[in-house]
Amino acid sequence: MTPEIIGVTGLVALLVLLALRIPVAIAMFVVGICGIAALRNANVALSFLSSESFALASSADLLVIPLFILMGNVATESGLSRKLYEAAYAWIGHWRGGLASATVIGSGGFAALSGSSVASAMTMGRVSLDQMARYGYAPRLSCGAVAAGGTLGILIPPSTGFVLYAILTQQSIGRLFMAGVLPGLALMAMFITTILVVTTLRPELGPRGPNCTWRARGRATLGALPLISLVVLTIGGIYGGFFSATEAAGIGALFAIIYGLVTRTLSAHGLRSALMDSVGTSSVVMLILIAAHVFGPLLAYSHVPTLVGEWLTSLPIGAYGVLLLILATYLVLGCFMEGYAMLVLTMPIFFPVITELGFDPIWFGVLVVLMLEMGLITPPVGMNVFIVKSVAPTVELAEIFRGVWPFLLAMAALVGVLIAVPDLALLLPNTMYGVN
Amino acid sequence: MFARLMRICDLCIDLVAAMGAAGLLITLGVIATDVFGRAFGYPLYGSRDIVSMAGVFVVFGGLAYAHRAGSHVVVDLLERAFPPRMNRILTVAGHWLGAVVMLLIIWQMAIAVELAKMLKTSTNLLFLPRAPFLMAMMAMAFVCAMSMVLRGVQAWQAGDPQPKVVS
Repeated sequence: MTPEIIGVTGLVALLVLLALRIPVAIAMFVVGICGIAALRNANVALSFLSSESFALASSADLLVIPLFILMGNVATESGLSRKLYEAAYAWIGHWRGGLASATVIGSGGFAALSGSSVASAMTMGRVSLDQMARYGYAPRLSCGAVAAGGTLGILIPPSTGFVLYAILTQQSIGRLFMAGVLPGLALMAMFITTILVVTTLRPELGPRGPNCTWRARGRATLGALPLISLVVLTIGGIYGGFFSATEAAGIGALFAIIYGLVTRTLSAHGLRSALMDSVGTSSVVMLILIAAHVFGPLLAYSHVPTLVGEWLTSLPIGAYGVLLLILATYLVLGCFMEGYAMLVLTMPIFFPVITELGFDPIWFGVLVVLMLEMGLITPPVGMNVFIVKSVAPTVELAEIFRGVWPFLLAMAALVGVLIAVPDLALLLPNTMYGVN
Repeated sequence: MFARLMRICDLCIDLVAAMGAAGLLITLGVIATDVFGRAFGYPLYGSRDIVSMAGVFVVFGGLAYAHRAGSHVVVDLLERAFPPRMNRILTVAGHWLGAVVMLLIIWQMAIAVELAKMLKTSTNLLFLPRAPFLMAMMAMAFVCAMSMVLRGVQAWQAGDPQPKVVS
């Protein structure tokens, strides 16, 4: 068998194992080891297991993942995430669809503390769904806003998606984090605009909430200050060059813990739970990353990425045509696959094509993460939709999927804007670190 | 006998997860000391070495914990299309295949430990020997493998799962 056939067989075998519900990391390990053994020998294949496991587990830079997850978990345990929602609610709750907009803002704020979309959707769902139901919001709008708002978690830094992309493509984590800020804020604004448009067309979906007094608004804003300070400290620290991304995560997590303990909003049990959850979640992500590093050489040895690259660049559709084809692939894959799995599976194939075509890898990273976000809410496998369903069990899945469509359109619009105006992603990193 | 094994396994899982949590707390402390020390002109010497080795506990300490919680990422698109017996077989296969991978990692780690001892490899600044950390990784991977084997047996004994009802 030629290396190319072994590589393609490996890819097919991986897809079959994934379809058979073998955990993503385990499937990648198995196919990677077998494939490399076929292309080289068993000793070479097995040696990747120890070398990659130790190299990645002992990488100080990768500790950014558990530390930011810890910061998000502590923020949830100590009720910090609720405060921003309450502040946004006090200011715009009386708008048409205002509670849904406040949910999106709360999600954006929580996203700036945690790299996880699922955690964001779960937290905001618990905080806001009951309240929206009380004010007569249609489940379609309220659940759609929570599911879509949660996706901001992997676009607004810190983002686990960006960290994975950075490791897989050898890009700067700090640069990617900065590249996610403006698109993240733009997407948040587009989500709010979407809610305004939807509730203008159909006011019964999101009636106005109560108007708060100025004193209540001030109090709610003061309550959100610790969270805002934490975001400024971590993201501002990276932007100002005071910390590396890992240090920012560590300092942020430490301050979140200190805040929780001092204000007595974080119990010893809550801290223990946050620590254990962070360790567990980080292990899941890291195991996938280690498996990707075992699987990656199979693709490299079999020249599959080169073949795919040559085929794509030979298509008579131009560079942007190829880019759109790749993004469309992500959209389709996102309907069936989990985001991290999609990233580690496709990046070794698509990334060389993108660099070959002369596109900026940081900008492409933002586009890819945006596509992963869309995958979180597209049927039939929309992880955030399932999370919202678990928080609101009486609402039908189909109803939630109907609710996310307007937000999916907003995301598609942002993809268009990003392609037309790459500076939306590149302005901050280029200003901070210089042009790549 | 099986119930006792499960209890022992769960205790081991809690223990290694606690080691992971301790690793995370140590990382926090070292980073904070280094950052504040640096601000006053006294960075913590070798902080990167400590953080790197603590990372080993954070990553491998949580493996079994995540497995017990069913957190490892699975594409369950076809779950409802398969008959219950098939789902049971696939669940067991997933657990046991994972155990085989973990055992292979342990085997390769054992070889790496011998090499690390022979070459006396260590971290760059504090010269922390790598071998003990590799052995710790082996132990934590073993707990994960044990959990995978036992939970595979448990899934097999549990009988065919009821199909999930999704509205």
